[in-house]
Amino acid sequence: MKGLRKYLTPFAPDQSGAVSVLYELGGMLVICDAGGCTGNVCGFDEPRWFETRSAVFSAGLRDMDAILGRDDRLVAKLVDAAEKLDVTFAAVIGTPVPAVIGTDYRALERMLAKKTELPVLTVNTDGMELYDRGEEKAYLALFGRFAGENVDVEPGNIEKTQTAESCDGKRNGKNEDVSVDIEDRPRVGIIGMTPQDVSDLKAAEKIRKLYADQGLRAVCYGMGDGLEEVKKASLTVKNVVVSPAALKAAQYLQKKSGTPYEIAYPLAPELVPEMDYRGKKILIVQQQVIANAMRKEIEKRTGEKEEITTATWFMRKEEILADLRVSAADDISLKEEDDFISLVEKDGYDVIFADPCMERMIPEFEGIFIPLTHFAVSGKLNV
Amino acid sequence: MRGTAYYCTVEELQKRGRDDIPEQFRSNTHLIYSSPATLAFNSPGAEGFGVKRAGLAIPDSIMLIVAPGCCGRNTSMISSMPQYEDRFFYLTMDETDIVTGRHLKKVPKAVQEICDSLAKKPSVVMICITCVDALLGTDMERICRKSEEKTGLPVRPCYMYALTREGRKPPMVHVRQSLYSLLEPKKKKGNVVNLLGFFSPLMDDCELYGMLEKAGVKTVHEISRCKSYEEYHTMAEANFNLVLHPEARFAAEDFHEKLQIPFIELRRLYQIDKITKQYQALGKVLGIPFEDKEAERTALDAVERLKAAKPDAIFAIGECMNGDPFELALALVKYGFQVAEIYGTLTAENFVYLKHLSELSPQTKVFSNMEPTMIYYDHKESGVTTTIGKDACYYHPDAENVMWNEEVQPYGYAGVKHLCEKLLEV
Repeated sequence: MKGLRKYLTPFAPDQSGAVSVLYELGGMLVICDAGGCTGNVCGFDEPRWFETRSAVFSAGLRDMDAILGRDDRLVAKLVDAAEKLDVTFAAVIGTPVPAVIGTDYRALERMLAKKTELPVLTVNTDGMELYDRGEEKAYLALFGRFAGENVDVEPGNIEKTQTAESCDGKRNGKNEDVSVDIEDRPRVGIIGMTPQDVSDLKAAEKIRKLYADQGLRAVCYGMGDGLEEVKKASLTVKNVVVSPAALKAAQYLQKKSGTPYEIAYPLAPELVPEMDYRGKKILIVQQQVIANAMRKEIEKRTGEKEEITTATWFMRKEEILADLRVSAADDISLKEEDDFISLVEKDGYDVIFADPCMERMIPEFEGIFIPLTHFAVSGKLNV
Repeated sequence: MRGTAYYCTVEELQKRGRDDIPEQFRSNTHLIYSSPATLAFNSPGAEGFGVKRAGLAIPDSIMLIVAPGCCGRNTSMISSMPQYEDRFFYLTMDETDIVTGRHLKKVPKAVQEICDSLAKKPSVVMICITCVDALLGTDMERICRKSEEKTGLPVRPCYMYALTREGRKPPMVHVRQSLYSLLEPKKKKGNVVNLLGFFSPLMDDCELYGMLEKAGVKTVHEISRCKSYEEYHTMAEANFNLVLHPEARFAAEDFHEKLQIPFIELRRLYQIDKITKQYQALGKVLGIPFEDKEAERTALDAVERLKAAKPDAIFAIGECMNGDPFELALALVKYGFQVAEIYGTLTAENFVYLKHLSELSPQTKVFSNMEPTMIYYDHKESGVTTTIGKDACYYHPDAENVMWNEEVQPYGYAGVKHLCEKLLEV
């Protein structure tokens, strides 16, 4: 039955994705809910919440606020908090309650702009979509509002002529000088890095090291790099899109500042354990960029084109397939639990990479099941 | 002031009185700060016995959560516990469902499909709905009846309406009513008593069991100790109910109305003299002496031992623990300890304790866990050496801490004794 889940708990919703993008940027995040959604985000979907205090708030909506549409109360509460807290911006993030009562986020934004000087973003998530939709909306709102602000260097003054392929740490055919101060190195923007997508709180650190070894500086938006870096987004020589949710933002930045982008997940090699993949029929279930980056890694190792199917419960973009030169038939979308079960039953895979919580769905599977954690699926991190 | 957590002293609060509680202590006037300290309080399904776990208190029951995906998301934390494996199912809603209400037609079929897929038929199916259906005005009782017709099993609604948390019937009140709504009238037995209020049992050595036995009670029922659906049904044989948590009051009224079982309400207290008085009052109602001098002595001894071991302890007391932080603070102050800080949700009822506290410890600071400036709380100048409660522990990571939020419920003299013992251990 459509929508019925017997094995898997629901995946991370859009509001969790939006919070994930904005979490580390020093803003005040106001989840427009009655309390339950904030509990879900903080207590489950945001692993960083347990580590440091953060300005995440619930609007504390009550039944009469919803019935009477008392947006003015929300505005008053937010303005009051803004006066008491040292925050750089405020973001209002939607949930099912405002979706049902038809909250006008643009109007809310305008009302708030009149009452506070704090920059305000609104993200019209509704708790019914998946995390990547929320991330996509949050990235666009974020870069749309802040990218290019307060940048002393004009985008035209920096080197922007490299193509995605040429900017791999080798400029003019030589490795960059790694002794150059990190601040002065060419910046590479990494968009799409959230715990939901990469399931590893150390992933940003690893990526920074990877690029540092190539004489570059990786700027991981929202994971270690804050709002100041977002404002300097036009200074990056290229952007790397590590999840489908980040693609639109990268395209926006390309249009706005001329920054090229490439689609890749630089840490894909560490997700593929050493074994003989030659001639094996393989299924990889993850978000689309990571799944296809793993496909490339496996084929790089075997030196052959292998019979690999990538599948995702989440957003699936044709541009990503075109960019990575993958046939659409080899990359599929999963919606219901039965889609996955019947895919495995029908196609006779030898190797399956998927989140461990999915293993119990396929007790008859006799091949090799390789755990590939996806936080947005199971709420578990790679350890 | 920016950068400072707001607080009032007990004296200030008492002076203002119950009709002039500062805005900072009224959660409907400000944004709700989310810290690990407030997670359980703010979210009705997030931690401990929220609606989801509570709804599965009936043995062999299962739950279908009919809601947008976000409402069921954190359930995987619960379903990873062995006792909840294969007991949660989901029917996720999309925007079209909200507009058309078509998801409701699918519920009976979904219940049927789930029951057919299980090796053992469940005793009850609880259908959990959330804020969205509260706003849509869904008649879930009707949907449950339809599901019962289709499956031949009892199906009950369970309302996880965070929107109504501060209303007349908050979710945790409603879920208690739902749980007992399946009981049918049975012949009364004079020697059977139900304890209502908690979803896990009282401490095994709680004196209440022994005192009831001395009073002629042969069987004490608690829903958490019921091994089977049949045993759960024997709760309808009780002569009277003891309500140990105010959120069970409505359920107790239902018992009275539907099953003609009266109830007596008791409080969880940590002041030994008040515990004694409460038992004496219960004895008067029952017309029998109701006391346990030995348990009382043991509790007093435990307090003495704690005082001897930690005479200079300065406490901070939170609300994420098994007790009322204001009552516990008063108890500790009466025992001769210092209480520097309390983190709590202030209501008019707490003024009973605040009145006494303001006489004995007027400078004790009271903070509201949910107020936005709590993000700036700084423990350095507090002087606190010992904390009680998960929230207090969060604010004072370097102090000695007793979480005191275990599932087995402390009560009466035994509760005091065990708390003192725990405090001696840290």
